[in-house]
Order: sequence, then structure tokens, then C-alpha cells
Amino acid sequence: MELLDRYLLAVKKHLPWQRQDDIIAELKANLESQLEDKEAELGRALTKNEADAWLKQMGPPIQVAARYLPQRYLIGPAVFPMYWYVLKLACFWCLIIFTIATVAQVFAGGIANGTALLEALLRVPWSLIPAAAVVTLVFAAIEFGITRNPPICGPFAGAPLDWSPATLPPADGTAGKKPRSFALALVEVIFGFLFLAWWLLVPEHPWLLLGPGALYLHASPFQLAPVWIPFYWWVVAINLLQLGWRCVNLARGRWQGPRRVQQNAIQALGLIPLALVIAAPGHAYVTLKHSAVNQGVSGAQLAALNHGIYIGLLLICVIAVAHLLWEMGRFALGAYRERATAVR
Amino acid sequence: MTLTENLFENLRLELRRGCLTLAVLAQLRQEYYGYTLRKALAERGLDIDESTLYPLLRRLEAQGLLVSEWREEEKRNKRFYRLSSDGEQMLGQLLDEWNAINASISATVDATTNKNASGKNTL
Repeated sequence: MELLDRYLLAVKKHLPWQRQDDIIAELKANLESQLEDKEAELGRALTKNEADAWLKQMGPPIQVAARYLPQRYLIGPAVFPMYWYVLKLACFWCLIIFTIATVAQVFAGGIANGTALLEALLRVPWSLIPAAAVVTLVFAAIEFGITRNPPICGPFAGAPLDWSPATLPPADGTAGKKPRSFALALVEVIFGFLFLAWWLLVPEHPWLLLGPGALYLHASPFQLAPVWIPFYWWVVAINLLQLGWRCVNLARGRWQGPRRVQQNAIQALGLIPLALVIAAPGHAYVTLKHSAVNQGVSGAQLAALNHGIYIGLLLICVIAVAHLLWEMGRFALGAYRERATAVR
Repeated sequence: MTLTENLFENLRLELRRGCLTLAVLAQLRQEYYGYTLRKALAERGLDIDESTLYPLLRRLEAQGLLVSEWREEEKRNKRFYRLSSDGEQMLGQLLDEWNAINASISATVDATTNKNASGKNTL
């Protein structure tokens, strides 16, 4: 039954990953037996509305899952899933705002060194604690209200009163992840070629990359340092590799699914040119065209410019590494779960 | 739902919570899987929601009072539960406690009922 699978998938999302497959397998066996009895009693399959009503009576997935979690005291099981969700969201946005504010502060103050970064890291918990405390207080108040007056506070208990199983996403996890069409795969290859052509034209026609900034660069006393040459060719090589890979996938009829290993490999390779640039001697990304003439006037400006580019590259590198680790973690977890399910 | 009904519902749930554990342990002297256990309890007049019973089985197993095993029945894998030896002991102790509470409450209710009745007769 498709609706039951969707319901179980929705419950699974809120369970701890170590136990979720086992709990869902058991719940599925029990609910399928119950469904068989119901259908035997009726002498027919359940209609869509009957199936909807049956699952609705089971309760919203988030609350069903919550009953399998350890007991909470300050925040009860009815409210806890919503509390946990809001807490994670609040902490995430707090962290984002804190990071942006810190980066802005570092740039404004021009004190981007190791000590400043360490100080910023040490301030992170103090930016999260107030947000977590406020969210906890609000939900403790809601919990208090629910235990004292359920009709008024009920709607805050983690699921809307008009919740319906019919609104659950598809069970095969294809919501927003339809298999890629041939047309999309072909468009990716075409755009890959166009990007490569554009990138190869950039050295001769810098305006293709910089726009009007190319004129400024031409008139300014600065020029790009030689460190960008290997960077440029690394980007060409990686894009050629990616394009070749996509062409092979297309030729072999394997364009439907995203190729995670390939994507992760390309992403990992992408870190090499970034690391090369970051490690440039003296962090010289821009130099003076005529150092003897312009050193006095533009020397300080040059140092600030190179420092700014260095911090920017460092930030990009940190984000790229974090993203790669996240993707690899997801890939490893998915593989582990598939293996665990197969063994069971 | 009125405030009185709410209050009754809260107190009823509180009262049932402990009894359910006792009923589940008693029923699991014989082996069942989740759904058939629920049906067996319902046949004896003790309806339990799926979302209460299934997590309760997990908790009791984690506490060592139940043991379980996955087995195929009617072409479907099911998790069968039964009482463990620790569970047997615990059930015995809980039943003693239950009988003692039952006797105390009956005695208290009888005593207050008789007192009220004799008070009315005196008036």
C-alpha cells in the first residue's frame, strides 16, 4: 500500500538512524497485518479515504516516532519533536548570522589572523546559548500550557490538527528527485562544452569574466600574479574530465541517476587548484605592473588587496571542504544503511 | 471537551499507564508479535493504541523484561516477543503490588462508603 509506505517513510525520518530500519520493519509488519484484517473484514481493499482515516488515527508521524525516543521531562513527547526541530533551526541561523557578522568584523578591522579566528571560534557557544535558552523557555511554557489546557495549546503540540496522510511525500524518496531525463543530461553536456569554450577565451578576452572590471584592471596599477596560471589550467583539466565523464555516461545510457562517486571525486579534485592558490608564496595574488614606479603610492593598497583575497579564498576552501565532507558522510551513511538492510 | 472531561481523561491515562505494562507482561507469558498482542489484549477489554503499545514493547525489551526474535510467519518477517526470566520475576512482584493496591483501595472505598452510610442513618 503506497500510502502506508509514505507514512512509514515519514515516521522513519524522525527516528534515530541506528534503530530506524529495525523499528520501521516491525511497525510495517504490524500495520500490514492490521490492514489485512481490516480488508478481510470488509471483503475488499480499503478506499483512499478509509486508508487516510486509518493512518490519521495512528497519529502524525513525528509524534509516532517521538514515542520511540527516550522520555523527556522538561519538554514532553508531544512537543519534543517540534522543539528539537525549532532548536536546530534557531542554532543554525544563529551560526550563519554570527559567521557573517564575524567575517564582516574581521574585514572591517583588518585583523584576520589566527588569534582573531580562534577568538571568533571561542565566541560561538556564547552566541548559541541565548538562542537555545529562549527556544527552550518558550517550549517549556507550551508544554506547561498543554498539560494544563490541551484544547487551547493542542495546535502547538507538534502537528497541525488538520494533518492528513494524503499530504505525505512519495515513499520512494523521489520527491523533488525525479530521475534525470535524457534532455537534462544532454543540456549538461552542451553547457559543459560552452563553459569550457568560454573559460578558454577568458585569457584573450578578460571582459568575458570581469565585465567592465576588465577595463579597471587594465587601467589600474595592478595585474594578476603568475599563481593564477596553474589555477587556470587545473580548472580546464577538471572541466575536461567532468565533461568526458558526462559524455561517457550519456553514451552508455547511464544518465538517469546522479553519480555520487563521480561528483565527490570532481569536488575533491576542485580543492587542488584552490589549495595551490592559497599556498601561493607571500599570498601574492595581485602584483604591481611597474613596481618601481607604483610601490610608494599603491604598496599599502596592494597588501590589503592580497590579504582580502587570501581571506576570501580561505573561506571558500573551508566551505568547500565542509561540503565535501558532508557529501561523503551522506554517501557513506547511505551505503552503510543499504548494507545493513541487505544483511537483515 | 470540558475542563472536567479533560481532567478525567488526564487522570484516566495516568491510571492506565502502569496497568498497561502489567497487562502486557502478563499477556506475554505466551509469545506474540505486536499486532496479535494488541488484538489479544483488546479481546480481554484492554484497548491500547498501536503508537503506545509498540514503543512500550521496545522499552520493556531494553529493560530486559522481554526477549524478542525476528521470524517469518505467513510469508512476512515479524518480531515476536515473550517474557524473559527477569520479566517473570518482575511480573510476580508487580502482581503482588497490584493485588495489594487493589485490596487497599477496595478497603478504603468500602470503609468510607460505610462511614457515609452510617452518618446518614444517624442523621
